[in-house]
Amino acid sequence: MMEQPHDLTVEAPRTWERPVVCVPVLVALSLVGGRFPSFSTEANLYVFGTGGVLIWLGLTRRVQGHTAPQRLSSGAIWWTLPVVVFGVFEGATFFAAAGDDFPTFSLLADPLLEDRLVRSAGWLVWLSAFWGLVRR
Amino acid sequence: MMRALAIGGFLVGLALFGLIEWLARREGSRIPTLGEVCAYVMRYEVGPVPVGRIGLFGFWWWVGWHFLAR
Repeated sequence: MMEQPHDLTVEAPRTWERPVVCVPVLVALSLVGGRFPSFSTEANLYVFGTGGVLIWLGLTRRVQGHTAPQRLSSGAIWWTLPVVVFGVFEGATFFAAAGDDFPTFSLLADPLLEDRLVRSAGWLVWLSAFWGLVRR
Repeated sequence: MMRALAIGGFLVGLALFGLIEWLARREGSRIPTLGEVCAYVMRYEVGPVPVGRIGLFGFWWWVGWHFLAR
């Protein structure tokens, strides 16, 4: 049997890295996370646990990652626009400390996250983005 | 009035994130995607310490803790 040249072989993703496996796992983890209310011991332990495992996977590079770009094109400067807009409003509302009259993003999000379904959706966004970071 | 200003400001900020990601994903775009920017930041190391990875993972973990556990 002829041996394949090294640069033509592509490593297949491991079973648990495939979307058909990791998406249902992330959804299940999110549904569980959505059951724990803010300030509860369970919520804190769950964030520590799931986040801890993802950080461990990311730092030990046990997950197949994409190739990082060697340099960024000049268009990357556009990313400063949303960061600055968001940062200015977060900073202004935080230092004004005016409560509900001029609320921070956290104050606006808190009542929304009291709903179990919205909270699960928040968990799904957080875990999915975390998984994306780990795979980078 | 100030409450509406804050809500509007945050919505504009979030919309800009979505808009720039959409622009970045168009064929031939000179704008990198947010994932590519994050990957580039995570390349940063000081000696053997992956400072970029630790920083981004730590920041994102804090975001989750702040909104979902506190």
